[in-house]
Formats: sequence, C-alpha cells, structure tokens
Amino acid sequence: MNPSVMAGFCRLYSMMLYAYPAGFRRDYAGPMKQLFRDRCRDVARTAGAFHILRFVSLVMTDWMRSALRERAAGFWNAGREQRRHSSVTEWAGTILIYLFATTTLVQAYVIPSGSMEGSLLVGDHVLVDRTAYADPGSLGRHIMPYRDVQHGDIIIFSYPEDVRETYVKRVIGVPGDRIRMEHGQVIRNGHRLVEAYTQHIAAYPDNYRDNFPQAPNASTMPRGRDMLEHYVVNGELVVPPGMLFALGDNRENSEDSRYWGFVPRSYVIGKPLAVYWSFDAPGEDLKEWSLGHVVDVTTHFFTRTRWNRMFTVPRSQNAEERP
Amino acid sequence: MPKNPSPRELLPLTPPVFHILLALAEEERHGYGIMQDVARQTDGALQLGPGTLYGCLKRMLSAGLVEEAEERRDPALDDERRRYYRMTPLGKRTVRAEAQRLAGAVTVAMSRLAGEHA
Repeated sequence: MNPSVMAGFCRLYSMMLYAYPAGFRRDYAGPMKQLFRDRCRDVARTAGAFHILRFVSLVMTDWMRSALRERAAGFWNAGREQRRHSSVTEWAGTILIYLFATTTLVQAYVIPSGSMEGSLLVGDHVLVDRTAYADPGSLGRHIMPYRDVQHGDIIIFSYPEDVRETYVKRVIGVPGDRIRMEHGQVIRNGHRLVEAYTQHIAAYPDNYRDNFPQAPNASTMPRGRDMLEHYVVNGELVVPPGMLFALGDNRENSEDSRYWGFVPRSYVIGKPLAVYWSFDAPGEDLKEWSLGHVVDVTTHFFTRTRWNRMFTVPRSQNAEERP
Repeated sequence: MPKNPSPRELLPLTPPVFHILLALAEEERHGYGIMQDVARQTDGALQLGPGTLYGCLKRMLSAGLVEEAEERRDPALDDERRRYYRMTPLGKRTVRAEAQRLAGAVTVAMSRLAGEHA
C-alpha cells in the first residue's frame, strides 16, 4: 500500500467516525484515527493483497458493530423519557451516516473498456473516491481536503452523451488550455507533451484521431460536433470555463473528448482510489451481471483474478512539457 | 456503576475486556500497543478494531478497571503523542478473579471430557 492510498483510507476512516455518537467521538476520535493509521502502516509493510483484504473487512465489521453498540449504549443507559427521543434521532443519524458513507464517499466501479489500458484494464474493479473533486458548493467540499481537477488526473465521470453511463479518462485540458494533436502527439499551449502513461497501438491510420481538431466525420457525436464548431480557434481547441478535455491512455483505441466533446466539470464523479479486485472478463459481461457471468466468476475466480493488480492505485501523472 | 464494586460483580468478563486487562498487567500501553499485545496473546485469534478497543476502554474506565496515564510519545513509532492506559488495583483484582474463574471452568472441563478422548 503506498502513502497516497493510505492517506485516502485514513480520510475515509475519519468520515466513518461520524457514525459514532458525538460524545464518544469527542473522547476517542483522535486515538482511533491514530490507531487506524498505525494499523495501516503495519499492513502496508506486509503488502500482501490477502492481508489488506482481511484488514479492510476487519475495519468494516468493527465499525458497523461498535458504532451500533455505542449508539445502543447511549439508548439503554439513558432510560429516561426525554433522552429517549434524542436517542431515536441519534439512531436515525447513524443510519443516515451509513447510507451517506456508502453512497457519497465511495462508489464501486468496473472498467468496461480498454480505453485506459496501460493504467486500467478491462475488469478492474475500482473504488472511486467521490469526495476528491466534490462539486464546488457541495457538502463534501467543506469538510474534506479538496483539490481541483488538474492536468494528468484520472477522472470518473458521467458520459456527457448519455449520463446513465460512467466513463473513465485522463484530463488533458482544463479551462483556458489550447489543445491540438499532431501525429498522435498532444500539443498543449504550444508545448509538446511527453506522456509516459500512454499506450500507442496504432490500429489503422486515422487522420481525425491523430491530427486534431479536424472537420467532424461520421464518428463524431453531436456534442463533439458542437465543440468543433464553437471552440476551435486558429486550428486549436480552446477549453471553455467549466469544461475539461479528456483522453484515454490507450490513445489510438479510445473514444474520448475528440469524439464526444468536453466533459462538464459538474459531471465529474471522482477519482479512482484503488483497484480492489481485477477479474479477466469481457467488457460486456461486466456492465450487467448475467447468469453466465456469475457462473464464469465462480468457476474461474482464482485463475482469472489478476492478483497482482489488487490494491494498485491508478495515479495522476503529469506529462512533461517540451517546447 | 457503584463506586467500589467487588470484582465478582463484574464477572464474567468479555474476551476483549479480559485480554485488554492482561495486556495492561505488566505495563502501561497505548491503544495500538494493547491491540498488538492482544493479538499476540491470542495467536491472532482476537483482532481488536479501533471501535471495539476504545468502546471497551470507555466502559472499563467508567467501571474503574483502567485509568488514563499521561499522553506521551512512543519512541518505537513516531513523534505523535499517544494516550496511555494503565490498570487500576480493581482491574488487577478483577482480572485475577476472572483468571481463577476460567481456571475453575477448565478444571471442570478437563475432568468431564477426560474420559472421552483418552
């Protein structure tokens, strides 16, 4: 486990502490966070996926059990009528916190396509940190350490052409950037990017894909057309306020901002925290669980799980800029 | 909790409480030290999470089994200050009584089960 995952886990844990009653938190939140970090460090030293998995499950059961127990203790010890009322609200609080934690803080996401290959493989199950780029003004932003989206960040976001789908790409352009591509190389604000994270498997020559921007072609989606129509200045794409330009690391085999336009900043869900399970399966199976896929997983769990990918962290990585 | 309870009223202890007391039998420890020692005592069978550990300590404090020692650094870890706990005389009497109770139970178990596998 590397320091940035550890920091992520510690951050999540300090949020989880809100499930405990206020008094308990006041007395013990500090030492508990300390203990959690000490344990993390311990586990990091062993570094086996199995140990980490056991640690995560221990912490989750400990959390559920002890938070409920502390709430219950408050409930039974109080005994009096008027305290009873406040205990009920405290309970409701705990349940809300559980719901909040599982829906707001993290989200599980499966990589369905090979467009980020090099960094993320088809079948990687990742935990998404939803607080990292929380929308300005949202609750998360006020209570969590917050950093705006930067060049080289991997983002998970709602697909602009169909918000029911979730995509993962890398941020190449932020508002104000001028972007173009020459022979598959990105030129940002006049500087050639040296992108260590990309993978180039030229499938077939494609002028639109490699020398961008161009006039729209058959593969350009409506939002992509709109982008090409309104935001190209002197042969360069200019990223407008509130938008991001995102490309896949598997640059020649990626449907990205070149085809469907900018990612609105508000569509960003979060950043990948860690791969918690990686299973070698076709992308279509991963989107919707079919009976066949269940059978597939149960019979091939041990052989097709890519153990070496467990708890790896897809990292932000900035490209080097050359004049 | 009454001010001066006899250890008997507190028995039987739950396994976490019993092992936490044993961890503090020889020296003061901080939370992480207790957790590690409990895992050692039980061959890893009892892994205390942060919530369980501090929940128990809270109840043990109010029952007078342990008390807080001063906060200080643990040179083996880092420079952060950690809260240490120590066992009270009542804690010592209680853990001894619990150990005797368990020893009694073990004796009974041995005598009743001796015939079965011998």
